[in-house]
Amino acid sequence: MKEKEIRAEGNVEYRFTHPDDFREHVRDRKGRNPASKLCSAGEAVETFVRDGDYIVYDFSSLTRGPQALVREVIRQRRKDLWIGAEFTLHESSLLVGAGCASRIDVGFLGYGNYIGRAVCAGRVRVYEWTNGGLALRILAGARGVPFLPSRDLLGSDNMKVSAARTIEDPYTGGPVCVVPALNPDVAFLHVHQADETGNARIFGTNLFALEAALASFRVVVSAEEIIETDEFRKDPMRTTIPFFLVDAVVHAPFGAYPGAMPARYEIDLDHVDRLNSLDTDERMRAYLEENVYSVSDHEEFLDRRVGAKRMRDLRRRATIVEGYR
Amino acid sequence: MPRKVEFTDTEFMIVQGARLIEDGKTLFVGWGIPQVVAMLAQRLYVPNVTQLFEFGAVGPRPVLPFVRGTMGGPQNTYRSLQWLNMNWAFSFSAAGYMDYGMLGAAQVDPYGNINSTCLGGTFEKPERRFAGSGGGNQVASHCWKTIIIMKHEGRRFVPKLDFLTSPGYLDGPGAREKAGLPRGTGPYRVVTSKGLFGFDGESRRMTLLSVLRGIPVREVLDGMAFRPLLADPVGEADPPTEEELRVLREEIDPGRFIIRGERML
Repeated sequence: MKEKEIRAEGNVEYRFTHPDDFREHVRDRKGRNPASKLCSAGEAVETFVRDGDYIVYDFSSLTRGPQALVREVIRQRRKDLWIGAEFTLHESSLLVGAGCASRIDVGFLGYGNYIGRAVCAGRVRVYEWTNGGLALRILAGARGVPFLPSRDLLGSDNMKVSAARTIEDPYTGGPVCVVPALNPDVAFLHVHQADETGNARIFGTNLFALEAALASFRVVVSAEEIIETDEFRKDPMRTTIPFFLVDAVVHAPFGAYPGAMPARYEIDLDHVDRLNSLDTDERMRAYLEENVYSVSDHEEFLDRRVGAKRMRDLRRRATIVEGYR
Repeated sequence: MPRKVEFTDTEFMIVQGARLIEDGKTLFVGWGIPQVVAMLAQRLYVPNVTQLFEFGAVGPRPVLPFVRGTMGGPQNTYRSLQWLNMNWAFSFSAAGYMDYGMLGAAQVDPYGNINSTCLGGTFEKPERRFAGSGGGNQVASHCWKTIIIMKHEGRRFVPKLDFLTSPGYLDGPGAREKAGLPRGTGPYRVVTSKGLFGFDGESRRMTLLSVLRGIPVREVLDGMAFRPLLADPVGEADPPTEEELRVLREEIDPGRFIIRGERML
């Protein structure tokens, strides 16, 4: 076989699992029996998230992000997490601010001043894979191949601060970018509906929900609503994720709060403004104390920090239902 | 003589962007200002343009007024033709289906390379950190014609970027193809709050095509850390029309969150 020339390469750390190692994990550790996986957010994080884990999630803190699960990770004070973040909006600020995350693969790194300052101060390491690059890495992980090629990243500085490589395309002879497969330790997916075994439905666009569920060692689904398995069989076109990819199912109404859940409830803009205003460690600590540490779980958070009136109001404001069922 | 209408530099920038899009084409829309440009263009000039968002909203008809921040929410993805995900969205661009892409930039260089990642210091410890590529690198790599839209601040036009996030013509003619980027693609226009730039067909260097009517060319060049080529002659761009301003102010951004800026003329 012809030796491939590596033309440009960043010398940075990256998460990689040999496809055979992942396949063996799937063979030995992923349950195929459609048993109930229903548990609390606390139990799911306790059981499936460890210090040092690589975590991905779908979509963002403003839209259908797994915010209840993120808050639970902070509450359980996980350490040294590495986040694979296509859209990391407030999640990265909170996870870095709480001392949970030390590395981020991006993506799009926003919002507010806190995360930008943390990067400038060297408190968190960031690698630039771009949105397309990360999505392709997860697809490679989902397809059981060690890498996938693409025709972007080429010529850009992202190549130097990621482990994307330029190689000679064996078919055309020209340069092509390759990115390594990504098999995260944990995927968090917040969905509209799930059954107890893990069949799940997302309505609307997503980043890489199915790819992340296929590619991840452990998959935690939180759902606005738990429905019967028979509902999936009646309308299989609407299934986003089949049960045997999923390890835990958490019933978490308002699980995307303060973000929106399309067609279920709107963004809480006041709360999001508060998140945007977290610029110092002092403000961050106060926010986390009030919204995470001082409440025992998601239910108590909704009950005592959000309140029934506000939830009713946010539901009422979700007036666009066309396309979401 | 039409009577004088007051407007902001941001409004002029958005209007210029909207006038560039051709009807019956596809447009890969970046986050923020490009969303507003696409809304104005579709509302006034190009009813048959198909917008694409990177998370897989194909042909959305966003609800007006514009809702900031939540590009993926129900308002901005309203009445799409199809809802997919990111790997499919970048398939449309990678396979050549996207005519135009539109992106913002923190810095741009004479070859239309974009920095949206960081300024100063080192990559590991920059002086300022921005969002980074998001999907901008894919848009600039894949789309046939990439439009860059940015405030006209001289310090943003630099001979060398602090970080090359999304590729323009790299270091000159043929460089994109040599790097392996798709043939025949690249930056097409740089729309600013004072003027409009293109790229010279041979040298691939940024070229000042026109300035807002009433602004001297030297004011546009002032403070730019490189000197662009000048079209012969440099044209004049019409200020925003009353209709453009009405749609922007009454229908798209009544809260003036996006369109506020420095007052012009």
